[in-house]
Amino acid sequence: MTNMNPVVKGLVLLGVAAAIGYGIGLGLDLLISGSVNYNGSVSAAFALLLAVTAFFFGVYGYRGITRGLVFQVVGTVLGGLFISGLRALMGSETVFGTFFFSEPAWVFGALVGVISFIFGVGVVRDWVQWARGLDTAEHHEDPPGGGKYFDVSLDHKVIGIQYTVTALVLIAVGGTFALIFRTELAASQLQFLTTTFKLFNQTGPQFYNTLMSLHGIIMIISILLGVSGIMNYAVPFLVGAHDMAFPRLNAFAYWVSVPASVLLLMSLVLGGFDTGWTGYPPLSARAPVGMQMFFLGVFTAGWSSILGSLNVIATVVRMRAKGMSAMRLPIFVWASVATSIIALTATQLIGLSFQLVMFQRLFGMGFFDAAKGGNPVLFQHLFWFYSHPAVYVFVLPGLGIISELLPVFVRKPLFGYRWIAMSSLGIALVGFTVWAHHMFTSGMNEYLRVPFMYSTLLVAVPTGVKFFSWVATLWGGKIETPTPMLFVLGAIVVFLLGGLTGPPNAAIALDLHLHDTYFIVGHFHDTIFGGFVFPFFAAIYYWFPKATGRRMNEFWGKVHFWLMTPSFFVLTLGMMVVGLKGMRRRIVDYDPALGFDFSHLVMTIAAFLIALSVLIFFINLFYSIKKGEKAEGNLWNSRSPEWQVPSPMPVHNYDVPFEVVGEPYDYGLKDSKYIEFSPNGSKHIEFTTKPEVEPHH
Amino acid sequence: MVHTHENRSMLGQGMLIFVYLAVLTALEFFVAISFNSVPLLLVVALVKAVLVVYYYMHVYKLSLESEIDDEAYDYKAGTNRLGLWLFLISDTFVFAGLMVMRVNLLGLSRPALNQVLGLAVTAVLLISSYFMNRGETLIHNGDRKGFLTNTAVTFVLGLGFLLGVVLVEWRLAIEEGLTPSSGPAGAAFFMMTGMHAFHVFTGLILLAIVWVNGRRGLYDVKSYPVEAAAVYWHFVDVVWIFFYPALYLIGTAVH
Repeated sequence: MTNMNPVVKGLVLLGVAAAIGYGIGLGLDLLISGSVNYNGSVSAAFALLLAVTAFFFGVYGYRGITRGLVFQVVGTVLGGLFISGLRALMGSETVFGTFFFSEPAWVFGALVGVISFIFGVGVVRDWVQWARGLDTAEHHEDPPGGGKYFDVSLDHKVIGIQYTVTALVLIAVGGTFALIFRTELAASQLQFLTTTFKLFNQTGPQFYNTLMSLHGIIMIISILLGVSGIMNYAVPFLVGAHDMAFPRLNAFAYWVSVPASVLLLMSLVLGGFDTGWTGYPPLSARAPVGMQMFFLGVFTAGWSSILGSLNVIATVVRMRAKGMSAMRLPIFVWASVATSIIALTATQLIGLSFQLVMFQRLFGMGFFDAAKGGNPVLFQHLFWFYSHPAVYVFVLPGLGIISELLPVFVRKPLFGYRWIAMSSLGIALVGFTVWAHHMFTSGMNEYLRVPFMYSTLLVAVPTGVKFFSWVATLWGGKIETPTPMLFVLGAIVVFLLGGLTGPPNAAIALDLHLHDTYFIVGHFHDTIFGGFVFPFFAAIYYWFPKATGRRMNEFWGKVHFWLMTPSFFVLTLGMMVVGLKGMRRRIVDYDPALGFDFSHLVMTIAAFLIALSVLIFFINLFYSIKKGEKAEGNLWNSRSPEWQVPSPMPVHNYDVPFEVVGEPYDYGLKDSKYIEFSPNGSKHIEFTTKPEVEPHH
Repeated sequence: MVHTHENRSMLGQGMLIFVYLAVLTALEFFVAISFNSVPLLLVVALVKAVLVVYYYMHVYKLSLESEIDDEAYDYKAGTNRLGLWLFLISDTFVFAGLMVMRVNLLGLSRPALNQVLGLAVTAVLLISSYFMNRGETLIHNGDRKGFLTNTAVTFVLGLGFLLGVVLVEWRLAIEEGLTPSSGPAGAAFFMMTGMHAFHVFTGLILLAIVWVNGRRGLYDVKSYPVEAAAVYWHFVDVVWIFFYPALYLIGTAVH
């Protein structure tokens, strides 16, 4: 066993632990209810928790993430038992409920589990020391090798990669869910998710609903983590800082997202939920326990987003290199600030709205229960106040990446720097005023419709500014097309399609017909792929050499692009076509008489081709880490400061600080200079491991 | 004991602001029970909040200039100050969301509560803010003993507020039939006071930490942690400045 590849060892342990967990669950089932339920939730929950933990035990041993997960499992069980015990003492009749634990027990257990994870993984260790009046080292050195990625690290580049990898894992999970339900949709009638199908206490159609809902939320969380990943990785070295402003908070923000991801998976096995990712009451007020896991998971992941963006703003405000005035900031940094302003503030509202539904379920508080004088539409206002601006959180960094990379590969200055920088802020601010365009059909006051229509249409103005700048930058450039540039160009085209299909939805008269159809589904997949997924891939291909000192394979990168892009067009254009013809979203089946069978079959094939292209990307990524072509210099011939130092990036970024002496994007202009390294460039003192003050004991 | 001139003038300023706040709170109560004007109550609450944010939370310190030097204590304290304010801005959205919920569900009605008891707990929290300001001013001037006394008083008053709301106010409300599940008034009341009480509770933990560490002389020179705890404590007070009229004063009482 000791000579095994750690990943293989992890997978073996995963299988064993899943079987053991399943057995424990079956045993408990037998003990409590007197009958064995092979498709039950208890066995699946135990199998899931133990399997995830065992995998990381095999890969990394009982340290870091494994310790966190063990703490989470123990915390969940103890928290659940505590509430079950309390309820037994209070004489409650349904102590164990449907799933061994009652709903309050699961919720409290999950909450205790998250807190236990935080302590188990050790990310709050320094804060606890400070609270006890002890000093800790200013910086912690990471051990060499890959182990640091499974453990708490304070280095922004390690955290950025942790975020990015977690995002990719979640993309794979969410994508797999999509493939499962897309297969069911390939033909009308129920094929395999039938009413006799039974898994995790759900019938086929119920399982479809759960997968569809989880696909939505897992992709959203993975996008948030991907955004945080790129921002964490790039923002500090783009502004010339040696790390983020608050490295411990940064690590904390990453590590809360791990138990959050586990909770989202728990919702799958604990009965699932059937509301879609929006979780509207009254349906969400009576969905299975999985609903609560979903709420708690999103709530926890929300903290990751809030604290991460707090850190980004503080870093940009306080830690810029000498001479880096507002109008000389890299454009991606502007986009990150705009995104962070939204994530810092609005995220609280989705957290609050979900918390209110949780409390409605737990304590009978009738916020959204019309029978108790509550108002279900209130939920939608609170929810969309975040969840619409959230799409700008997703796309602004992506649009920033497009603007950041375009001049590098066009070899000429970015057109209209100021306008691009301001348009990010413009989108962010206008984005706060448009939320109710999701509610044209939900029975809100009619006089609210028109102002929200106009504010929504207004978003097209700053977005149009960006397109104008991109086209003008491309105009007359010496265009090179390595893989990152392909994805940048793909992003522009796909986002254009997403952008153009937006205003029709904003027009009230049209929206009343388009609402909840596949037209909407096609529209937002276009915006998110164009605004996030394509730029995200571009950023990974672009900065991969910076992180590893090797580049990803060009040929397979191009295969990835040329396979994914046409398939994606087929998929989303197909969605829009059937949507216009009346295909409803979020449904497991459709009437064969509608004649959508062939369209859906084509879309399903396209979806599988996208999955294949992403699989190629994963293999390329994994393979290139160790065996890719060496690329230690300024591979893309970029002016950006991080490419002026060798790859992989040194631990504290710049041994000699730099000073900004010119404009960032003056590519191709004679004698233009962006930065100059000089020992007096800024007062960032060279890194030391010595604690600043002697510890008090 | 260091009693500089500046120290005395800062303490005097804190006292003066407290008197203003006390007078405004009394005025607020009088307005509510005599002619219940919502715009006037809103104005009074805004004035109170501005006074606390400027004089007790000294928001102007955000614009203090210091040379960019990552390793200097003052520069780090400035970064931490910015981080704390960003967090408070974020937290404000939770309370603003609760306020939206209250306005949407209850409009110009309010939960049927004991208004005198509400005034009493409000006064306790307000007085605690005064002592917190005193404690902070004193530690900035190196007066450890004065800091400890005043922070201890703040802690006791804060605990009094927390127990007053959770043990007395909640029990009385439930006895009167206003429960979390009784209707929108009960739901809004328990949610808003509950969320606020949770913040008071975390504030008490911070106060306990700075008190224990302060006693060991950790903040005699580097006193930013005390400032942070104080600013958080005053923030919780500012939230109550708005929640108090929203729950106890505005409109007519319903169950």
